[in-house]
Amino acid sequence: MSLQNEIHFTSERLQEIDVLVKKYPGKRSALLPVLHMAQEDFGYLSMAAQQLVADTLNLRLMVVREVVTFYTMFREKPCGTYLLEVCTNAGCMLNGANELLAHMTESLGIEVGETTSDGMFTVTEVECAGACGGAPVVQINNEYHEKVDATYMDAFITRVSGGQS
Amino acid sequence: MISSDPKQVKAICFDRIHLENQTSLAVAKKNGAYKFLPTVLKDFDNERIMDEVKKSGLRGRGGAGFPTGLKWSFVPRLTGKPTYLLCNADEGEPGTFKDRDIMRFDPHLLIEGMLMSGFALGVKDAYIYIRGEFLHEANVLDAAIEEAYAANLLGENILGTDFSMDLTVHRGAGAYICGEETALIESLEGRPGRPRFKPPFPAVEGFYRCPTVVNNVETLATIPAILEFGGDWHAAIGVPNNTGMKIFSVSGHVNKPGNYEVPMGTSLKTLIEEYCGGLQHGTVPKVIIPGGSSTPWLLAEHYDTPLTYDAMMKAGSMLGSGAIIVMDETADVIALTRRLTHFYAHESCGQCSPCREGTGWLERVMIRVENGQGCEEDLTVLYDVATHMAGRTICALADGAAAPILSLLKHFPDEVRARLMEKAA
Amino acid sequence: MTTLFINEEEVTVSSGTSILEACRTHGADVPYFCYHPELSVAANCRMCLVEVEGWGKPAASCCTPVGEGMRVTTHSESLSKDREMIMEYLLINHPLDCPVCDQGGECKLQDYAVEHGSSHGRYKEIKRAVVDHNLGPFVSTCMTRCIHCTRCVRFAEEIAGTGDMGVLNRSDHMRIEGVVEDALASELSGNLADICPVGALLDKPSHDVSRPWEVKRHKSTCTQCPQGCDIVIESRGDEVIRIKPDHDMGESWICDRGRYVHDSFRSDARILTPSIRTDSGMQVVTWDAAVEKTVNLLKDKRVGIVFSPDWSIEGLTSIRLLHDRIFKDAKVAFDLHRRDMRPFAFEEGFGMTPENIVTADEVVILGSDLRQRLPILMQGLRKRTFSNKPVTRIGAMNYRTNSELTHDALIRPREWGAVIARAMQQLKDLGKTAAGMDAWLSAVPERHEAGKLLADALLADSCALLVGEEIRSHADAAALIHGLDLIARASGHGEEGRDARNLIPEGMNASLLSAVFGDIRTSVSDLFDAAHDGELDALLLIGSDPLGDGLFSMQAKRAMGKVPLVQVGAVAGDVSEYADVMLPASAYSEVDGTFINMSGNVRNADEPLSTVGEGRPLWKVMMRLIQGFDVDVPAVDVREIRTLVQGYLPSLAVLWSDCVDDAWHMPVARQKDAIFLPTGIAPVMALDVISRYSMYREGAWVRASKSLTEAGHIRALDDVLLHPNTLQAAGLKPGACLVRTASGDFTFDVGVRDDVVEGVLFIAKRGVAGDLSCEVMASLGGGQ
Ligand SMILES: Cc1cc2nc3c(=O)[nH]c(=O)nc-3n(C[C@H](O)[C@H](O)[C@H](O)COP(=O)(O)O)c2cc1C
Ligand code: SF4
Ligand code: FES
Repeated sequence: MSLQNEIHFTSERLQEIDVLVKKYPGKRSALLPVLHMAQEDFGYLSMAAQQLVADTLNLRLMVVREVVTFYTMFREKPCGTYLLEVCTNAGCMLNGANELLAHMTESLGIEVGETTSDGMFTVTEVECAGACGGAPVVQINNEYHEKVDATYMDAFITRVSGGQS
Repeated sequence: MISSDPKQVKAICFDRIHLENQTSLAVAKKNGAYKFLPTVLKDFDNERIMDEVKKSGLRGRGGAGFPTGLKWSFVPRLTGKPTYLLCNADEGEPGTFKDRDIMRFDPHLLIEGMLMSGFALGVKDAYIYIRGEFLHEANVLDAAIEEAYAANLLGENILGTDFSMDLTVHRGAGAYICGEETALIESLEGRPGRPRFKPPFPAVEGFYRCPTVVNNVETLATIPAILEFGGDWHAAIGVPNNTGMKIFSVSGHVNKPGNYEVPMGTSLKTLIEEYCGGLQHGTVPKVIIPGGSSTPWLLAEHYDTPLTYDAMMKAGSMLGSGAIIVMDETADVIALTRRLTHFYAHESCGQCSPCREGTGWLERVMIRVENGQGCEEDLTVLYDVATHMAGRTICALADGAAAPILSLLKHFPDEVRARLMEKAA
Repeated sequence: MTTLFINEEEVTVSSGTSILEACRTHGADVPYFCYHPELSVAANCRMCLVEVEGWGKPAASCCTPVGEGMRVTTHSESLSKDREMIMEYLLINHPLDCPVCDQGGECKLQDYAVEHGSSHGRYKEIKRAVVDHNLGPFVSTCMTRCIHCTRCVRFAEEIAGTGDMGVLNRSDHMRIEGVVEDALASELSGNLADICPVGALLDKPSHDVSRPWEVKRHKSTCTQCPQGCDIVIESRGDEVIRIKPDHDMGESWICDRGRYVHDSFRSDARILTPSIRTDSGMQVVTWDAAVEKTVNLLKDKRVGIVFSPDWSIEGLTSIRLLHDRIFKDAKVAFDLHRRDMRPFAFEEGFGMTPENIVTADEVVILGSDLRQRLPILMQGLRKRTFSNKPVTRIGAMNYRTNSELTHDALIRPREWGAVIARAMQQLKDLGKTAAGMDAWLSAVPERHEAGKLLADALLADSCALLVGEEIRSHADAAALIHGLDLIARASGHGEEGRDARNLIPEGMNASLLSAVFGDIRTSVSDLFDAAHDGELDALLLIGSDPLGDGLFSMQAKRAMGKVPLVQVGAVAGDVSEYADVMLPASAYSEVDGTFINMSGNVRNADEPLSTVGEGRPLWKVMMRLIQGFDVDVPAVDVREIRTLVQGYLPSLAVLWSDCVDDAWHMPVARQKDAIFLPTGIAPVMALDVISRYSMYREGAWVRASKSLTEAGHIRALDDVLLHPNTLQAAGLKPGACLVRTASGDFTFDVGVRDDVVEGVLFIAKRGVAGDLSCEVMASLGGGQ
């Protein structure tokens, strides 16, 4: 029935959640932060992870599902070691983001949304990152890299791939 | 240091932004942070603060430009329920990136602004709702808040007064719509960010159905200066009804994109040419989106328009959040419109039929038009779909989605028709 | 109050009303999808746009409150264009498959498309495809037709209180999803198909059976539980297509039991013709032959009559006529759940209206699985959660409910006396007394803390006690009910107008039955024992099925094996195997009849379906029997029957005079001199026995229904349940166990659940472990 036995929060996490919950007038408010934690701990939000969050906060699974599927940062599938999120909205588009994205997918040999076969890189297209002054912007595992060009990306990919690629 | 002479003011929110290590409490304090806070907590009362903020003429910097003092005055007193203060740090409007700089370089300014605002509104619990992508900024804020707690600037009996306030940073998780204040509240309650219909307005029934004030980062960061130097001082900056300084996030085809805090009333042209180093190509812009992607476009003929809420309105657009996207003659306005329709289709929360179905419809038609597979009827469809979405939904996202389409059809019908012909040939 | 103008007409409504509601009550037609009067406002379809003078843009009327002096326009050229566009938005991703859609003909989308839509669609792009869900045996889905109005999600959350439905994703990927097991957990799931304004959620049993325009509607009364909801039966020719709540009579919802039972109306289980037993089995005969055989079997015999309480008033009275004219000395019984036949201080039925119960300051459920017993009342109680009003429950089992219980005390049946005594003591200490309290108190030495909840509730201004089967079926029921009556009176809740006393009856017509049969009724178990012991010569069962229902299947089986049996009824069932004669009577849906529900409200059913086979209304069957005994027939038409009813109950005269209808109310009888003190039942065995009432198994109609039986299987539990500690204390493990009782030893599959109070043997499946139900106590033997 419940999938909760497959994975657990560590006791430190549970303590953290206890503290967190007290910061809000209602327990449910802790849902987004706890989902962030679960994603950090388990890599992505599998059904088991969603059930775990539901049980931890005493919510119905559907309540958790609604939230997970609404927000784009929550992933229901695993992604590569490096998640490369390219902003292609107005500011970045006007400064070459589409060309950058094309270059990246081509050199990694994948389509947007896919992960390289070695599980190293996932490339996605995202909406305005809120850093248009530094367009084009690429988030690498949630860290902002601004004024990125093909050379910069190639260097990065080569570096983390251990010099090959 | 902010000058007490309104004519001499160079910056308000960005006053300390370029100083090293401003995120550390010790440095921030040395540079003047929290200097005036004890005076406010000890000598000011609620009415006086309200008065100063009203006098200041400050209008919300989040997009709608609603007078902050007036918004605060809608909060009912003595309801027996707590009042909440929520800082809107969702910064999702394409083109906007100003709040991020305040948070990552001068977090204590925001904290101080929230303390003073919270004090004025009788708030016990305040939250900063920050977009999930701003992980670094959230960490900076968290660290600053921790230091503030340790220094008794937050928590119980702040600086030995009766005033107690807790402040929590809450990360979103990727949804532009959560910048809309009632969607933000829904999200902060642990739900999908689907805007609520109004009335009731958040001031009366917001977070957990209690009175709630939602203000933008920049708005709140302006409060300390207003209280220190007085409402009249602030009102003397800028132009009447459009007072104070304003941060403009300039992006697109300019040589020096970035955030510039200038007095309200500065002209578009001055900002772009004197601050932003002019256009990348040519001398006159093809299109200027003055207030974020949801605002109607301006053309070269509007280049001299002063940057004020009123003048922008008169020119047929809006000042919005002050996110100026500039396009020079090289821009493909059709591709840009298509890209923006994708944004709105992707970000619609999905509840209102016109927005849910209309945004997707617009995108699909625009893809065809961009690829030269459009036809004349598409122009009518785009127009009908856009006009009947705007103003008929729960929130203004649908209006924002209509703006680029209607601007394109209004200003560049020939370019669109040429595209139809071009590929048809 | 607020005064505004709707299409130039001045209208006054209470302040805070929405513009849409103001329009609806004043006959101004505003189209809408997502609005529903019983649900919270979502304002997402945007179909309900109207114009308000001075406002720059149209307003969604469902979520905009009226304002003083507001000038509203509901029709204009620009609104027509808006509505046309909304229709276009909604239809771009719609499959446009009206010809094959069950909703066709009663679909808001279709109607509005005709009324407000444009003649051709301009959408040329690819349509969205959506996966369907399994929402259980009653609801089928076609989610591409969904318009995302979220009515179903709001229904699940606000009304049903069970069932995990939600909205996944955003933008035009948004979709409604339900989780099957949970959606099923609702006994109200059938309403989902009603609530969906389009063809996305459909009624599964009637799927593909008919089109709405082919059906005929019959207003009727549901007799599947004592609530007696007003229903509309939809039929096509001889076939029953659907049962729906009668919205005209103010019913919003009906339960799945009342809704889906209809497949039994035309099932193989119906008794269609008179028949008699021959050496080669049952044989169809003429009415004359069957009546002759009946007379042979019953004439001048000592007869036991057991009937079902769910017949119409006319039918029930005719049973009394049969008794008075032919079987003056017969034993008569009808309540298959009552052990104690001493008169109750307050009879079965409700002293309060459901509305008053729902709004009372305090509600206490005493020993009842209310959600199974009275699902619609339980739904009402759920509304209390939203206004933070408490609901307290005391009883032997933590039955699952769809609303949060404020207090939930688990007690053993043998502790009821101590619970009531504890409450009584508290009231007495506060100086609140009633004559007879001291005697009652001194008869019970123990006190149980759960009684504090009861007393606290009675101290409120208004309070409702819902007295359930654990007390009604108790061996010492009369004493317990006397005790409850005393504390109700002591706390000022014993008077008309402030009455707290509600005794949940077994079936319909409770107040009528105690008035008409109060003087002659006996206990079913005594009656069957008498037959078994040779004190009766024959049994006449009228619609009652003691083998499938109630507590006394063991006694019934023994008795029926001994003496001849005449069965009159509409559905056969296991008893038919014992019948020597079977006489068909019309179903409740097939009679022009009158019913009284648990609150004493009268329900008229006067648009009957045609009877199948040779069945006739019960009163006619009874008259035919009387005639068979060569006695003058007292009535030849329904009017005469009604006149005779008034002989037993003069107050009923008004009933049929002038369409008094629902306003007429028959109060519950009170017996001030029904003074009984608890005797204390010697605890000769370790365990108390309680049996479960299941809305998907109890009742002959339900057992004859395929769809309800299917639902019953999905919810099946182990035969017998115990608290884990109880089993452990006996040194046993779940599985086959020996259960010892006064009437013998049985082996059952025993399961464990925390929900059962320790020391109680809970019979979850009466069908399997049913014969145990008559026991009050048991003990555990060994495992196997
Ligand atoms: C679709 C939509 C998105 C919005 N996004 C933001 C945002 O990212 N940041 C913000 O401060 N305000 C945003 N707003 C405006 C807020 O609803 C609200 O007006 C603002 O936070 C009020 O703060 P202010 O009075 O200080 O401007 C948005 C509004 C809409 C309709
Ligand atoms: S307009 Fe769009 S984003 Fe706003 S509430 Fe409606 S569906 Fe959601
Ligand atoms: S009925 Fe008003 S928006 Fe749906």
